[in-house]
Amino acid sequence: MTMKTRMRAFVKNFPWLLLIALVAVFTAINPRFVGPISLGNIFMVAAPLLCLSLGATFVIMTGAIDLSVGAIVSASCVIYGTTFPALGNWSILAALGFGFFAGSVNGLLFTWLKIPSFIVTLAASALWRSLALILVGGGAKGIPMELWDGLKWADISIGIVPLLFLISLVAFGLYYFIQSKTALGRAIFAVGANERGARMLGLKVNSTKFWAFALSGAGCALAGAFYSIELKTSLATIGDPVTLLAIASVVIGGTPLTGGRGSVLRTLLGALLVVIIQNGLNTVAVDPYWQQIVFGAFTIFAVFLNSEKGGRVFIIK
Amino acid sequence: MEDVLFRTRDICKEYPGTVALRGIDLEVRRGEIVGLVGENGAGKSTLLRIISCVEQPTSGSMEMRGEQFRGRNLLDANKKGVGMVFQEQSLMKNLSVAQNIYLGRERGFRRLGIVDWRRMNATGAKVLDSLGLKDISPAGKVLELDFATRQMVEIAKVLDIVGDSEEGCLILLDEPTSVLNDSEIRKLFEKIRIIARQSNSVIFVSHRLSEVIDISDRIYVFKDGRQTALLDKKDANEDVLYEKMVGRSTSGEYFKVGSQTEPGDDVVLEVRKLGLKGFFKDVNFRLRKKEVLGICGVVGSGKEEVCSVLCGDDRPDEGQIILDGEERRFSDPSDALKSGVLSVPKERREEGIIGGMSVAENISLSSMDAISRHRIISGRARMDRANDWIRKLNIKTPGPKESVATLSGGNAQKVVFARAIAGRNKVLILNHPTRGVDVGAKEEIYQLIREITEKGMSIVLLGDTLDETISLSSRIIVMKDGFVVAEMESPKDDKPSQFDIVRYMM
Repeated sequence: MTMKTRMRAFVKNFPWLLLIALVAVFTAINPRFVGPISLGNIFMVAAPLLCLSLGATFVIMTGAIDLSVGAIVSASCVIYGTTFPALGNWSILAALGFGFFAGSVNGLLFTWLKIPSFIVTLAASALWRSLALILVGGGAKGIPMELWDGLKWADISIGIVPLLFLISLVAFGLYYFIQSKTALGRAIFAVGANERGARMLGLKVNSTKFWAFALSGAGCALAGAFYSIELKTSLATIGDPVTLLAIASVVIGGTPLTGGRGSVLRTLLGALLVVIIQNGLNTVAVDPYWQQIVFGAFTIFAVFLNSEKGGRVFIIK
Repeated sequence: MEDVLFRTRDICKEYPGTVALRGIDLEVRRGEIVGLVGENGAGKSTLLRIISCVEQPTSGSMEMRGEQFRGRNLLDANKKGVGMVFQEQSLMKNLSVAQNIYLGRERGFRRLGIVDWRRMNATGAKVLDSLGLKDISPAGKVLELDFATRQMVEIAKVLDIVGDSEEGCLILLDEPTSVLNDSEIRKLFEKIRIIARQSNSVIFVSHRLSEVIDISDRIYVFKDGRQTALLDKKDANEDVLYEKMVGRSTSGEYFKVGSQTEPGDDVVLEVRKLGLKGFFKDVNFRLRKKEVLGICGVVGSGKEEVCSVLCGDDRPDEGQIILDGEERRFSDPSDALKSGVLSVPKERREEGIIGGMSVAENISLSSMDAISRHRIISGRARMDRANDWIRKLNIKTPGPKESVATLSGGNAQKVVFARAIAGRNKVLILNHPTRGVDVGAKEEIYQLIREITEKGMSIVLLGDTLDETISLSSRIIVMKDGFVVAEMESPKDDKPSQFDIVRYMM
């Protein structure tokens, strides 16, 4: 085996190796890490992270990036929480509608105005974050306690697996289906791998990018609703740290930022890894202030592992 | 003994699958302007790249100023007195003239780590002066200059880099006139002559034969990577050059001329007064059912852009495209595809295939509706169709799931064809359909073109060579400087000669 193929095999299996290594290390330090409470907690935290990383994966597979993930999550959380007294659990539709709309705005600005996606989504995230803060009048606003009965369903667990995680798995199934079985899914890969080629062979490049962003918005909205349900609060800053976690889930799973390759299946693994690392760091009592450093470092390392090192120019569209 | 500045001895250049140059013995005397002519792909540009050390020859040697000449890159060549002015202008438009001339060489103007712009401008002015370019301000921005002046700045820059005019240096000009008008060309030629009088030598490449005859002292003619003639200025005229460039034709059997389809009467595609600013104007033609319409023209004649407009990649500024009697305006290639027009693009790797995807997926990408219902793809339908095409077109691949990137040029091109035909389109735009394809696969592609026209498709063809265009087409239009200058029938029993067409092209 040459150095190169060995390296490639390592990169391909890196997420699995990491998963096994981490579980082993954390369990060795604290055997309760694989206990039912800890695992249930991992699933609970992973549910929203998985939802918001699914669409982000689509965007990254087209070769673009969505930096408005966190802001859309915040705004969706607030929209769910503030509409809950009026709509009950139908607020989920309000949140999803908003998420889809916010993603569409990203997609339209990106494709019509031909502005790089990181600028479009960075600017848009300021907009949604403000919207979230304005709606709750700053900070947080709890869902009135007398309405909590309506949120009880979310506490259901099947064994150690919480219902919310199962819902996120259904969402995962849907995105996986879109990715592998629909014309849109194929177009997302084609546009990411070779945008010029995709255009010349008659694929609708702009509409493909639009849908990737719209689906990203919808995934974020679901995640935002989850946070609102879990915390029983409209928290306008809930999404602030998750943009990095979303990108971390995607790239640690093994989807490269250059587009054209990857899978939401890898992102499922990536999201679990991120949560396990987070949880593990808590278990071994690492200060939360330090945890962001770990995720930043992990993300950079994962991007490095997955990037082309042949000296080709690296461009994010 | 003539005073020879530069010579090549038996230069050969091979690329995987093709030989670009063989046995080139070129000689450039001091103070001489040597012209280089030949069709597209004859090897002129390859030779220039070898002389400027951008590429290495497979075999053979070169001599400069009586010494062995070899280098690993352009910088080495520059140090030894060889400079190249590239076809695409390489000036930074947002920088000043002097900044461009000394780009990457600012070190010489440094004082305490800070560039002394005034000194740079003064030195730059001297350089421009020596070429009689007094009217160019060294501090002016390049983007404010017209194309001819930019070209002169580029030449001044290269001359200054190779410097050392005592010894004499060699300047290579690759199509320097292609973006210039007549008066600009006269200006440029004046300066080229000044350079030559300062005991430098020039190699001049152009498609416009009259220019080459005008400026050159001697002219080398290239064809298919060989030098076929060397003429003194006094012996050269356009007819002689055409003849030497064209040579004999390949046999009709190779191109399956015998099975050339008789075009039907119905017009499938009509183009009226089509124009794209800066590229072509007033283009009219009709494409009939089962017809192969060839478009000939040199690089820059506008034929590539006509193709881009037809397949929806560019939008025309004026004129009409009429498909099956209805006027169409394609917003992009996917829109054109909806109407049944699709191109087989020139740059296969960049435009024709999606590298990371499988053979089966590539085949289905332009006909997604055929393998899906409500946009949901049937994996089995995709596999069945892929296997079908792999068999029909004899595509050599380990299987339909193999990544298309691993296929050879010829087989990858067959995948592109399968994709283009699978959608049952009406009109195919073939842009260099056999570029980078080996001989065997070429023949199969020619056969395929005959078969699909027989089945009722119509084709607009930009051949890889003139020979190919003539042999495959049933009618030919010739473009020059953005206009259609000739149109002729090309029936299977009475093919026009290359000579007939080249005289309109140049």
